[in-house]
Amino acid sequence: MTSLQHYLVLAGALFSVGAWGVLARRNIIMVVMSLELMFNAVNIALVAFSNYSSAGAGRGEVFVFFVLAIAAAEVAVGLAIGIAMYRLREKLDVDELDELKG
Amino acid sequence: MQFSTPVFYIVAALVIIPAVLMVMFRNLIYSAIAMIACFIGVAAVFVTLNAELLAASQLLIYVGAISILILFAIMLTRSRSGAVNLFFHRQAWMALPAAAALAVVLGAVLGTARFSAGDTPKNPATGNLASLLFNQYAFPFELASLVLLAAIIGTVLLAKKESRP
Amino acid sequence: MKTAVLLIPLLPLASFIITGLFGRRYFKEKSHYLSVASVALSWVLSMYVFIQVERGQTLSWQIYNWIAAGRFNVDIGFLVDELTAIMLLVVSTVGFMVHVYSIGYMHGDKGYYRFFAYINLFMFSMFMLVLANNYLLLYVFWEAVGLCSYLLIAFWFPKLSASNAGMKAFLVNRVGDFGFGLGIMLVFVTLGTLSYSSVFAAAGTLGGGMVTAICLLLFTGAVGKSAQFPLHVWLPDAMEGPTPVSSLIHAATMVNAGVYMVARSSPLFAHSHTAMLVVAAVGTFTAIFAATIALVQNDIKKVLAYSTISQLGYMFMALGVGAWTAAMFHLLAHGFFKGLLFLCSGSVIHALDGEQDMRKMGGLKNKVKITYWTFFIGALALSGFPGLSGFFSKDAILSGAFSGGYWYFWIVALITVFLTAFYSFRLIFMTFHNEPRTDPKIFAHAHESPPIMTVPLIVLSVPTVVAGLVLGLPPEGGHIDHFLHRVFAAAITAPEHAFSYLTLALMIISAAVGIAGILTAWHFYLRCPFLPAAACKRAGRLYTLLLNKYYIDEIYFAVIINPVRRFSAWLWRIVDAGIIDGAVNGTGWIALGAGRILRPIQSGKVQGYLFAMFLGLLALMVAYLILTL
Repeated sequence: MTSLQHYLVLAGALFSVGAWGVLARRNIIMVVMSLELMFNAVNIALVAFSNYSSAGAGRGEVFVFFVLAIAAAEVAVGLAIGIAMYRLREKLDVDELDELKG
Repeated sequence: MQFSTPVFYIVAALVIIPAVLMVMFRNLIYSAIAMIACFIGVAAVFVTLNAELLAASQLLIYVGAISILILFAIMLTRSRSGAVNLFFHRQAWMALPAAAALAVVLGAVLGTARFSAGDTPKNPATGNLASLLFNQYAFPFELASLVLLAAIIGTVLLAKKESRP
Repeated sequence: MKTAVLLIPLLPLASFIITGLFGRRYFKEKSHYLSVASVALSWVLSMYVFIQVERGQTLSWQIYNWIAAGRFNVDIGFLVDELTAIMLLVVSTVGFMVHVYSIGYMHGDKGYYRFFAYINLFMFSMFMLVLANNYLLLYVFWEAVGLCSYLLIAFWFPKLSASNAGMKAFLVNRVGDFGFGLGIMLVFVTLGTLSYSSVFAAAGTLGGGMVTAICLLLFTGAVGKSAQFPLHVWLPDAMEGPTPVSSLIHAATMVNAGVYMVARSSPLFAHSHTAMLVVAAVGTFTAIFAATIALVQNDIKKVLAYSTISQLGYMFMALGVGAWTAAMFHLLAHGFFKGLLFLCSGSVIHALDGEQDMRKMGGLKNKVKITYWTFFIGALALSGFPGLSGFFSKDAILSGAFSGGYWYFWIVALITVFLTAFYSFRLIFMTFHNEPRTDPKIFAHAHESPPIMTVPLIVLSVPTVVAGLVLGLPPEGGHIDHFLHRVFAAAITAPEHAFSYLTLALMIISAAVGIAGILTAWHFYLRCPFLPAAACKRAGRLYTLLLNKYYIDEIYFAVIINPVRRFSAWLWRIVDAGIIDGAVNGTGWIALGAGRILRPIQSGKVQGYLFAMFLGLLALMVAYLILTL
C-alpha cells in the first residue's frame, strides 16, 4: 500500500531536482522549465494531501487548479521576458541580468 | 481505486528520471522533451491519487500548452551565437550538492512528519471538486481569469517588436 | 478669565510664528502690524486680568499633564495671583510701549521683520514665565527668554562686538542657570513635586540645611538672570542690542525674572535665614558696586545698564531683608522708569545718528524737548526725588532694611542713593546741557524723534510719576502692600507696623540724600564744569579702576577663560585629534575593509542571490529538524 509519505517524498525529490536546475543552468528558458518542475512537485504534494486528508477533501485539488492557472501565466510572462532579453542582447544568459549590481 | 506500491514506484520513476535528464541535457530541445515526459509522469501520479480530472488538466495545460510554449520559445531564440556556452552555470558544482542536501532534508522532514491525514486514501469524488471550485472558491476562480488576462497583456507588450519611430 | 489668561501668551506666539515665517517675503516693512496688534491685545487682556485679580479672583489652572513619568509629574498650568498680576502689568505695558516705539526706532532696518518676530517670541516667553505654575515650566521659559535675549543682543550679528556680547550673555547665564537647574532638581528630589503650591505647602518639612541649599541654588539662577555680582558682566555688554531691546529685556522685564523668581519662592526663602542674608548681602554689594562703576562710564547706555544692575541689587536687598512687597514695588516702578530711560536714550542716540558717547553730546535740551523732559522725569524717579514712583519704592526698601534691623545694609543703600542721584544727573547734564560737543554737522541735523517714538515716552512717564502716589501712599500701608499681602503672608515675619515718625524720618533722610546727589551733580557738571576732570586726576587710580569696571572682565579672562582655552587647546590636540579622530578614522577603515571583502557578494547575479536564499532555506529546515527530532 502506498502511503501519504511516499507521495510527499516523491514531491520533495522532484522539488530538489527542480531547484538544482534553477541554480545550475544558465539559460533563462532552462530556468523557467526547472521552475515548472518545482511547481509540479508542489502540485503532487497538494493532491496527495487532498487525497489522504478527510477534513479538507478535495480542497488541495482546487489549489492545484489555481496553481495551474498561475503557472501558465508565469510561463507566458517569463518566456516573454526571455525573448525580449534575447532580442535586446542576443543572449539568454541569466548573468546578463545584473542591473541590480551594487 | 487503489494502486499497489510497485505501481507507485514505476510512476515515481516516470517522474524523477525525466526530470533529472531534463536538467542534465545540453541540448535544450532534448531537455524540453524530457520535461514533457516528466509532466506526463506527474499526470500519472495524479491518476494514482484518484485525481482524474487533474490528470486530464495536467495533460491539457502542461503537456499541451506550456510545453508547446516553451518549445516555441526555444526555437525562437535558437541563436546565431548558439547555446553551447549557455550550459552549466559557474556555481553548478555547488548546486548539485545543495540540491542533494535539500532532497535529503526534505525527505527526512516529510518522511518522518506525522500529519493528521491518515494513510488510507479517501477518494474524494470529482463532483465534490466541482462544487468547491464553483461555490466556495468562485471568487478566486474569477480572479485567476483576471491574472491570466494580465499575463496575456504583459506578454504581448514584452514580446512585441519595438516600433521604431 | 481663563480665555484671557490663555490668550495673553498665545497672541504674541501666533504673531511670532506668522511674522517669522512670512515676514521676510510678504510683510517686510509692514511686519509690525500684526506684531504690535497682538501685543496690544495682550496688554488689554493683561489689564483685564489685573483688574480681576484686584477684585480678588485668582486662578490656578492645570491645562495639560505635560510629563508623567512615575513619580515625576509636571503640568503645564497657569497660576494667576497678585504677584503674577503685577508682573503682567509691567511686562505687557512696557512691552506694548516698546513695540510701538520700535516701529520708529527700527524703521528701515534690514532685519525689521526679524526684530518683531523675536520680540514677539520674547513677549510670549516672558508671559509664560510669569504665568507658569511650577518650577520646570518656569525654567523652560526662563531659558526661552534667555534665548530671545541672546538673539536680540546679537541682532546686528554682522558686528563682531554684537555677536560676542550675545555669546557672553548666553554663557554667563549658563553658569547661573546651571545652579538654578540643580536647585530645581534638589526641590524635586527632596519634595517629589515641582508645582508651586505643593512645594510651598511642604517647605516646612525640609531640614534647615536643605532649605538653605535649595534657596542658594535657586538664587544662583537669579544672580545670573538679574545680573548680580559676580555674574553681572553680561548686562553692560548686552547694550550692543537695539535700544528697545535694552529697554524691554535688559531693564524692565527679563532681568526682573530673577527678582520675580525669588519673590515667588518666598515661602521657601522664609525658612532659611542664611539664604536670605546671602541674598541681601549680594544685592547690597551689587547695588553699590554697580553704582560706583556707573559714576564714570561715558557710554549713555552703559551708565543705564550699570544703573539697572544697581537697582536690581536694591530689589535683592529688599528680598533678603524680608521686605518682599517693597521689592516687588520697586520692580514695578523700576520697570516703568528704567524702560522709559532706555527709550529716551534711544531717542537721543537716534537724534545724534547713532552716537552713544556722552562726551560727544551736550546742549540737546532745546533740540529734543520731549525726550529731554521725559528723560528728566525718569532720572528724577531713579534718583528717588520725592513724589515720584522711585522715591516711594526705594523708600520702602530702605525702611524695610532699617526696621528689619539691617542698619549696615541701610547705610550702604543710602550711599547708593546718593551715587544713583549723582550719576543720573551727570547723565542728564552731560547729554542735554552745556555746550554741544557733537560734530557740528551732526548737531545741526539733530532732531526730535517722530511721534511714534515720543508718544511711548510720554505714556511711560505717566506711571513713572503717579505709580508711587497711587500705590505707595501711605508708606508700608499703601495699596500695593494690601494687594500683595496674601502672596507674601507666609513669608512676612516682621509684624506690620503703622506709619510712624520713624518712617517719616527715614523718608526725609533718603529724600535729602537723593537731592544732595542731584545737587552735587549740578555743582560738578553745570556750575563748575572743570571739577570732574580735576577730581579724576586727583582720584587717579580709583578712577581708572572704576573706568575699567574693577577689572572684573579681565579677572575672568585670566582666571577662567584663558585656562579653559588652554585646556581646550590641549583637549583638541591630544584627545580630539589623537584619540577621537583615530577612533573615528579607524571605524571608517574597518567599514572600508569590510566593504572590500563583502563587495563580491553584491554581484547583481540573480542566481547567486537565489543560491544564498536556497542555503538559508536549507539552514531553516535543518534547524527545524534538529529542534523537533
